[in-house]
Amino acid sequence: MLIDRIIGVAALLLAAVYLYATAQIPTLEIGDPLGPKAFPRLLGIALIAAAILLFVETLKADKAAEDKAPRGNLHHLWLIGGVTAWTALYFGVFDLAGYLVATTIYLLVLTSVFNRGKRMANILTSVLFALGSYILFVGILGVSLAKGVPPIDAISTGVDSGWKSAVAVAKSMFGR
Amino acid sequence: MDTLSHILHGFNVALMPINLWYTFLGCFMGTIIGILPGIGPAAGIGLLIPITFGMDPTSALIMMAGIYYGAMYGGSTTSILINTPGEASSVMTALDGYQMAKNGRAGAALAVSAIGSFIAGTFGIIALTLLAVPLAAIALKFGPAEYFCLMLFALAAVSSLTGKSAAKGIISTLLGLMVATIGIDLQSGQPRYTMGVPELQDGVGFLVVVVGMFAIGEVFSNLEEHIKGKAEIIRLKGRLWLTAEEWRRSILPIIRGGLIGFFKGVLPGAGATIATMLSYTVEKRISKTPEKFGTGMIEGVAGPEAANNAATCGAMVPLLTLGIPGSGATAVLMGAFIMYGIQPGPLLFEKRPDLVWGLVDSMYIGNIMLLILNLPLIGLFVRILYIPTGILLSLILAISAIGVYSINGNTLELQMALMFGVIGYLFRKIDIPLAPMVLALVLGGIMEQSFRQAMTISGADPKVFVGSGICVTLLVLAVVMLVLPVVLPRLRAMKAGPEDLDS
Repeated sequence: MLIDRIIGVAALLLAAVYLYATAQIPTLEIGDPLGPKAFPRLLGIALIAAAILLFVETLKADKAAEDKAPRGNLHHLWLIGGVTAWTALYFGVFDLAGYLVATTIYLLVLTSVFNRGKRMANILTSVLFALGSYILFVGILGVSLAKGVPPIDAISTGVDSGWKSAVAVAKSMFGR
Repeated sequence: MDTLSHILHGFNVALMPINLWYTFLGCFMGTIIGILPGIGPAAGIGLLIPITFGMDPTSALIMMAGIYYGAMYGGSTTSILINTPGEASSVMTALDGYQMAKNGRAGAALAVSAIGSFIAGTFGIIALTLLAVPLAAIALKFGPAEYFCLMLFALAAVSSLTGKSAAKGIISTLLGLMVATIGIDLQSGQPRYTMGVPELQDGVGFLVVVVGMFAIGEVFSNLEEHIKGKAEIIRLKGRLWLTAEEWRRSILPIIRGGLIGFFKGVLPGAGATIATMLSYTVEKRISKTPEKFGTGMIEGVAGPEAANNAATCGAMVPLLTLGIPGSGATAVLMGAFIMYGIQPGPLLFEKRPDLVWGLVDSMYIGNIMLLILNLPLIGLFVRILYIPTGILLSLILAISAIGVYSINGNTLELQMALMFGVIGYLFRKIDIPLAPMVLALVLGGIMEQSFRQAMTISGADPKVFVGSGICVTLLVLAVVMLVLPVVLPRLRAMKAGPEDLDS
């Protein structure tokens, strides 16, 4: 199978790069007889051996002569590529736009692509999820999520203080 | 007697109201994760670790374990009702479970998997309780060389038994070990493979890899499936109980499945997936009507489901007593232990008996909770399946972002998680198993340390690794593990089905 040969070649290349990078680690001879290079060197050599083993396996498989039809197609590749790029963009503006805004927009686009035709449900899900998860993690669990740069951070601060005053009101109502 | 008092004291810990609550929470979320298509136990534990930040370690680990066995429990529902196994370990359940559902016996299929899981799970925990003490006592005698050989054996077993090709499993393992070497070397203080990126000095975050490969990568695979077409959900009707005839047919498969599952679970690499396949094969072979398997035979549901859950308990044995997980999901569980500054292994039984036995004993209680969640309340959980897949998968991506970002507040780690997501997606495409890589990543640091300690003790003489009977035995077993699939083509044929161990 062609794909297995490609994996084998990729593994060999990776082993070479890794072994080269290992050789670049500076060593100071103190105490430790092996130093930081020995174990990685073993790993690099083992990866070369594994790649050779894979080539041997492919030879056997070729003799058995079976080839499945390639799975997936170009359309799927575009799809996954698109989602990856969109997610990379989301992560890229995460600090800048803040969790609330970035997540809402990110989800709006994703859901309208993958849950087509249900516009109202998608908008509601995106907004409510971003808001709800922000309150859960920041307000209740005390985990910090990106607020965003001014003036966007006003939204996060607003949600935060809104939640806090809601809790305060609830507490006073139940007399605690 | 000392041990007995520790075990009993564990119930004190497990029965504390706060821990009961976390057991319930873990089982509850585990059930949801098990039912949700497109998210397995490993991803579930990884994604939910941030929620436990700031919790008492015992409570946090009780909850994590609950998520783990809860997810293994809940996986059967998806197999039975939509014929889409969420986990590799539920593939066998789908064969006859889905057919039973189509024949109008969905209630019986769900009931037998819940009851079988409960019986086998409880048996598994008892066996875990009995086996843990002697095994931990043996492991206490292990030196660094023995530990290194043991890890080598575990990795060899996982590499060769997960997936179809041993070479690909080994490559996956080595990649994990290589990623583990990134960062500052603890002994010499030298940065390795950091490429001058300061964020890499502490190494590649464990959760970054887990969330990337198991959550993001899995979502990518599922998105692809999603646009191909939608699975039909079979409506749950009829009583959630078994007829007397079905009881009679199920009880022996449950017992056999429980035994097979536990022992397979203890062994590294074999795990739940192979246990379910073995149980299914056994039931089919001893059945008087083997030709009816695949058309809705209750034995084909009862056996594998029991095996699945007994294996889950079995897998806790090496994790707790040796500190060596044998599967993807237990590797993530071990990662959670380490994040709490707790190193599982024999010493833990001496240092923190309250934690170990509190955790083990909480599993007895969790198992009862799961029976309730999965039998009378299953109707509520089934509704989760009606969430549109497009929305569900989008939300999992956003939750992944929260999970990774909440660790260090670092967007570079987000991008790295995405990168591992793409790698995980590609690996699924080209049949490279993911579990070995994650296992190797967890063990990598400890493995290198014991390697170097052993070499330091022996004065850089590699003969130290064949210096004791335990070492030699483990090394021989490791070699056998790697050679076995080549020698035994029948074993290969048997595991030609699912691609991934219980990831």
